[in-house]
Amino acid sequence: MSNTNESAPSTTSLPSDVVSSITNQVSDQLNTGVLVVDRDFKVVMWNRFIQVHANKSSEEVVGRLIFDVFPELPQRWFERKLSGVLQLNTPSFSSWEQRHHLFELPHTRPITTDSEFMAQNCTFLPLDVAGEHSYICILIEDVTDVCHYQGQLQKTLKELALISRIDGLTQIFNRRHWQESLEQEYAKARRHNKKLALIMLDLDHFKKLNDNYGHQGGDKALIDVTQIVKSVLRIEDVFGRYGGEEFAIILPETDIQGALDLAQRVCNTVAKTPVLFQEHIIQLSVSIGVSQLSDNDTSYEKLIANADAALYQAKANGRNQVFNALDLSDESLSA
Amino acid sequence: MSPAVLICDDSNMARKQVLRSLPESWHDNLQTATNGVEALTILRASNIDILFLDLTMPGIDGVGVLQGIQKLNIECSVFVISADIQPEMQSKVLALGAKAFLQKPIKAERLTQELQQHGLL
Amino acid sequence: MNAFHLTEDQQDCLQELINVAMGQASDQLARYLDTFVYLKVPSIESISTSSLTQTLDDKESAVAIVSQGFFGYEGIRGEALLVYQDEDSGRIADLLGYEPDELSHDEQLIDISSILTTTFLNVFASQIDNQMSYNAPKLLPSAQNSLSEHLQQMTFSWDFALKVNINYQVTDYSFNCNMILLIPETAIMNIKKVIDRILEDF
Repeated sequence: MSNTNESAPSTTSLPSDVVSSITNQVSDQLNTGVLVVDRDFKVVMWNRFIQVHANKSSEEVVGRLIFDVFPELPQRWFERKLSGVLQLNTPSFSSWEQRHHLFELPHTRPITTDSEFMAQNCTFLPLDVAGEHSYICILIEDVTDVCHYQGQLQKTLKELALISRIDGLTQIFNRRHWQESLEQEYAKARRHNKKLALIMLDLDHFKKLNDNYGHQGGDKALIDVTQIVKSVLRIEDVFGRYGGEEFAIILPETDIQGALDLAQRVCNTVAKTPVLFQEHIIQLSVSIGVSQLSDNDTSYEKLIANADAALYQAKANGRNQVFNALDLSDESLSA
Repeated sequence: MSPAVLICDDSNMARKQVLRSLPESWHDNLQTATNGVEALTILRASNIDILFLDLTMPGIDGVGVLQGIQKLNIECSVFVISADIQPEMQSKVLALGAKAFLQKPIKAERLTQELQQHGLL
Repeated sequence: MNAFHLTEDQQDCLQELINVAMGQASDQLARYLDTFVYLKVPSIESISTSSLTQTLDDKESAVAIVSQGFFGYEGIRGEALLVYQDEDSGRIADLLGYEPDELSHDEQLIDISSILTTTFLNVFASQIDNQMSYNAPKLLPSAQNSLSEHLQQMTFSWDFALKVNINYQVTDYSFNCNMILLIPETAIMNIKKVIDRILEDF
C-alpha cells in the first residue's frame, strides 16, 4: 500500500532509540491509563497515569499477574474477554454504562461525585509483535465526569417527567396524567374482564369559600381536602385533580358496592375534619358521584360521564352525599 | 487433449479468478455457470471432466449441486472453491464426493498443486 | 443512477470480497465460539438516506440495536448496526463462553456485536490491504423510534449510502442477527477507487 503507516524512507527519520524515548514520554503524559499484558496476563508495561492512580511502584507491578496487582478484577470474565482479543485479533471494549469500572482507582473529583472509584471506559487492543499477537494493550479512560453529569441528567429528566404528571397546587396527578391512567385501567379491565369503578367528587360551596376567605383560603381548602381524601384511599386507587374544585378517583378491580363504601367514607371523613385557615376553622363537605364499568360501556369517557351525572344528582339532592350512577333515571343519564 | 471444464460461481470475478489459474490450453473446452440449476443442466447435457464449484449461491447452492451429481450418477471430478471454510462444511462436501476443498480467493499455485495431486495435470 | 452507484462489475467484485470476508470471519467465529455459523449470501444496495429509514422501518420491532463506527486508510469508513429481535438474545452469554451472572444482558449484546463487526471488518480490510480502527460499540436506547432518530442524526450530512446487509445464524444457540453496514457517500467513492484497482488486475 502506498499510503499506509509505513514511514517514507528519508534521511530525516529519527533513530529508533530517540523514537522510543519520545513514545515513552508521550505515553507518560497521557491522561489515559496504558497497561500492557502478555498472553499469561502478566503486566509487561504501564504508563504514569495508572502508576499514579494505583499508587504502586513499577517493582510491585511489572512482571506480576494482573490479577495479583488488581485483585478486584473479575478474573474469569477478564480472561475470556482477553482470549477473544488474541484469538480473533480484534479490539474489545468495556463501557462505564455497563460496568462502572474495572480497576479500583480513585478519581480526581472526590467531592462532586458520589462514587468512590473512577468511572472507566476500557479498550483492549491486540498488539502485533513480530507477526504474533501475544500482547494486549489495555487503555483506561477516566470518564467520571461523563458518568456524573449523566447521572444528574437522568435525575433531572425523572423530575421533569414527574412534574409533567403532577398538579402544582395539590401535588396529586393532574388531569392529563389521570386521564391517561384511566385509559390504561379501562383497557386492562376490558382485556382481563375485571371490574372498574370511578369516583368524581366536588368540594361544596367552593365559590362561597373563595368569597369569604379569599383565593388563598380556597387553595388551602383544596390542599387539605386532598390530604383528607388521600388518607382514606387504598394504594392502587388513582387520585387526580380533574379541574377547579373537582377531583376524580380510579378504583381498579372494585365493584359498585366497594366504590360506594369508599365514597361514603370519603364523604364522612371530609365532613368531620375541619380545615384550619389562618384563625378560621372551616367546615368542608364534598358531593360524590360513583359509577362502574358496565358491559355496554364502549369507552372510558362513558364512565366519567356517568359519574359526573351522579355527582350532579348528589349536588341537586342537597350536597354532602354520595349518589350511585346506577340509580340515575334514564333521562338524566342520556342528558 | 484438454479436459472438459465447468466453472460454477455466481460471481463473475470469482469465475475469472479460477479461469486465469488454469492452463491456457484448457480455455477452449470450458463452460461457465452462474448458479446450481445452470450447472446441473450443463452437467447432464455434456460430459464434463472437471467441475470447479462455489458453495454459497442463490437458489440451488454448491451442496445441492453435489447432491444432484450423486443422484444423477454423473462422473466428474469436483473441486469445491468456497469462502465458507468452516471445518463442518469441508467435511460435508468431501463426504458428498468432492475431490478437494479450496479456500477463496483461489491461488494459481494451490490449484495447480491440487490438480497434479489428482493426476489431472 | 448517480456517481455513488456501483457498476455491475464493481458490485460483483465487492460482493465477492464480502463473501470471502464473511467466510473467513465465520470460520474464526466458529472456532472461537465453538459452534457452526451459518452464512447467507449478503445483500448490497445503494440507497438514498431518506429511504434508509423506511427500509429499516421493519426493524423497528427490534429489541436491541448496537452501533459501532469503523474507519480505515484511504477514507474507508462507516457504521455497523447490529439488529436483534427478541428471541435472538436469550443465550448469548452461553454462546460467548461466559456464565450468565458474569455480565449483564446489555453487555452480552454489546460484546457479541463488537466481535461480529470487528472480526468481519478486519478480514474485509485485509483483503483490500487496509486496516480498520473502531469506536466503542454503543447500545441504542430501547425507546421507540430510537433507530430512526439515530439514523437521522448519523446521516445528517449525507444523502446517499451503501448498505450491506449480512445475516448471522448460529443454529445450535438459535441465535440470529442482522449486521447492517452503512457507508456514507464520500467513503463510497473511496471504496470504488479500491475496487477499480482490484478489477484492473483482471
